[in-house]
Amino acid sequence: MFRIAKSGICIPAHHAVSRRGFLSDGTIRAAGAVTVAGCFASDMGQIHALRSEEVANELRKQDKRVILLWLAGGASQFETWDPKPGAKTGGPFRAIQTNATGVHISELLPELAQRMQHTAIIRSLNTKIADHGRGADLMETGRLKDPSILYPDLGAVVARELGRLESKVPDYVSLYTSTEGRRKGTSGFLGARYAPMFLSESMIPPNIARLETVSEIDHHDRAALRDALGRRFAASRRNHTVDSQNSAYQRVNGLMASAELFDITKEPAEVQARYGPTQFGHQCLIARRLIEAGVPFVKVARAWWDSHGQNFETHQELCADLDHSMSVLLDDLEQRGLLKNTLVITLGEFGRTPQINSSLGRDHFASAWSCSLSGLGIRGGVAYGKTDPEGHTVVEGEASAADLFATILSALKIDHKHEYTVGARPVPLADFGSKPIAEVLS
Amino acid sequence: MDENNIPGSTEPQAAAPTVATLPNVVKVQKAFSLPGIGFCLATAPDMSLIYTGLSDFSILRANLSAEKIEPSAVGANGHTSYVMGLVRCGETIVSGGYDCSLIWWQAESGEIIRRVADAHGKWIRMLAASPDQTRIASVADDMLTKLWDAATGECLATWGDYDLKTPQGFPSMLYAVAYSADGKWLATGDRTGRVLVRDATNGQLAATIETPVMYTWDPTARRHSIGGIRSLAFSNDSSQLAVGGMGKVGNIDHLEGVSRIEVFNWQTGTRRFEIEDSKHKGLVEALQFGPGDAYLVSAGGDNSGFVSVWNMADGKLLTQDKAPMHVHDFELSTDGRSVTAVGHQQGAVIDLFSVQS
Repeated sequence: MFRIAKSGICIPAHHAVSRRGFLSDGTIRAAGAVTVAGCFASDMGQIHALRSEEVANELRKQDKRVILLWLAGGASQFETWDPKPGAKTGGPFRAIQTNATGVHISELLPELAQRMQHTAIIRSLNTKIADHGRGADLMETGRLKDPSILYPDLGAVVARELGRLESKVPDYVSLYTSTEGRRKGTSGFLGARYAPMFLSESMIPPNIARLETVSEIDHHDRAALRDALGRRFAASRRNHTVDSQNSAYQRVNGLMASAELFDITKEPAEVQARYGPTQFGHQCLIARRLIEAGVPFVKVARAWWDSHGQNFETHQELCADLDHSMSVLLDDLEQRGLLKNTLVITLGEFGRTPQINSSLGRDHFASAWSCSLSGLGIRGGVAYGKTDPEGHTVVEGEASAADLFATILSALKIDHKHEYTVGARPVPLADFGSKPIAEVLS
Repeated sequence: MDENNIPGSTEPQAAAPTVATLPNVVKVQKAFSLPGIGFCLATAPDMSLIYTGLSDFSILRANLSAEKIEPSAVGANGHTSYVMGLVRCGETIVSGGYDCSLIWWQAESGEIIRRVADAHGKWIRMLAASPDQTRIASVADDMLTKLWDAATGECLATWGDYDLKTPQGFPSMLYAVAYSADGKWLATGDRTGRVLVRDATNGQLAATIETPVMYTWDPTARRHSIGGIRSLAFSNDSSQLAVGGMGKVGNIDHLEGVSRIEVFNWQTGTRRFEIEDSKHKGLVEALQFGPGDAYLVSAGGDNSGFVSVWNMADGKLLTQDKAPMHVHDFELSTDGRSVTAVGHQQGAVIDLFSVQS
């Protein structure tokens, strides 16, 4: 294990923490400690020591959850949250009145317009980076990529802050089934313990089913035997390593048992029908099932919004999918009493240009775009920030990626200034200088 | 699309060109600026005066015989969104657009004669006038075809028969409509590549033609679709139907499919030609048969534009060239030698020549 000295030379990291001491703190949690170019190591011992257990446990008891609807490729703010009807740049679609006084959104989102009481729109993101890779890096982690450190993405941070060590369900599930722009997500220096369970080829996790050659009875008997032996061993040799090992086995068994959470046929037919026929609808239903079972962070990527050609047709299709699936999701969460504990985010790597090109497309644009936050911790019915009449620039309430992350963490009542210490380096949960947008917080 | 230059109109038809006089050169004669995207075109009988509907919600009039072409607005307080369809019926022009409304204008004065605010439940995509200019057909994304009395604005009929959603469960779109030259038939084309030909008087379905290559659904990489039938044209003898769009697309972020035309003997369902343009990519936005049905003119584009001329004896390319812009609509002169086109921020007059080698 190494860290980077100021000289740039890789040196062993045991000046910060010894290997033995590190292992004794929690082998399983640190098992995935990440290296950048083989020259970086995280210090999970320090990370976990920074927050009092009481505070952490209280946070976790509140059962807060996040669903991130990742609009991969970059949705147009004009055709979603910040319509400019009548402007040269506005496109053909009307703005419609929502059920929040004075708040208008695109006519392509009629169902969401009737659910604005749950939602705050931020119309003033200026994140500057308008290429897919770097834009996604920024909007997934809330900060610019740094070659000397691998930052965790929002899902990993939330999993770390809200996940329960003893949980038998995954802390972070990411669904990204389209191949374009597919990104797995990263837990960065937080380690593999907070890495996403990543589903790309199938909506049901592979390789967690019980082997057909092992009967259900044998499976349970084996687990019981292992538990009994583990408890006896731990009784005389109590330490974190042994605890972690036992915990890991429990999580594996939990994951195997959680396979049903991904199976939407377990839902009543009426519920399946409400979510509709599209894959995104199905995945939103999976997200609700996971959230209900206690998974703190679920990311559902809906690709691909990169409408360089035929922007309006593309948004007619994709907005219809988003509008219906997200509306049903919000309703379902509310009806089950989950929305008050669940934050639903729509976000992508950037927005789209005001200019309409010759292919009737819009290109990449990160200078004045929008996202939405719904549910937990959010003041609904609010449209924060303002862009100019043609949508070229932010004229009021400019917000950076870091500000957005500070806002999201604040909605979850997580201290965005709280710092991890990585090596000797303090890393705040939201980047230095970030400020939550108080106007969208309840 | 305007249908002024087909049999039944007051203009005489030019004789069919011989092989020796088929156009083999395309040349831009003049181009002029538009303050937005010109989506649709209607012309005066002598082609000197054109009307175009734009993305700035306006309708402009331009005198093409002027030394400097300076389009001016026709009237005011018209549409509140993109103007997608425009036809001329005598001294009246009728427009339709994304605001779901139809507006009748006095062509000369720009006075609004009539407005039908909710002509369709969704965005109007195209209009077509009957050859005798007594009927107007409109198509919209409510997937309905409506027939209107051109003089009174009365809705005479509403025809469905299209699926509201694509096979993948997304909203479908109904882009194109065209009258046959004899005024008996009406063809419409949708997002998924389905053409319906119906009796223009009673709506009875006469033919269903599938052109599935015009529709690309990407099930793997991007999970949405692109394409659709963007243009339709009957031959002057009404026996053939040309269908325009785009071939299969790899990366549906862009209009990178080859431009594509299929020509049918629609009453037998026989496909005469399947034309894919290896040189020019993008959508075929407009089509029109030349005199005697000897050739077919197509235009459209991706980030740039094209005009192509196809021999209807064998489906081969006669000539083509870049247009100054992505072309959204054009009108072919009665003699078949001049294309007046509108599109992205520009309009143009493009000549078709026969040059003997």
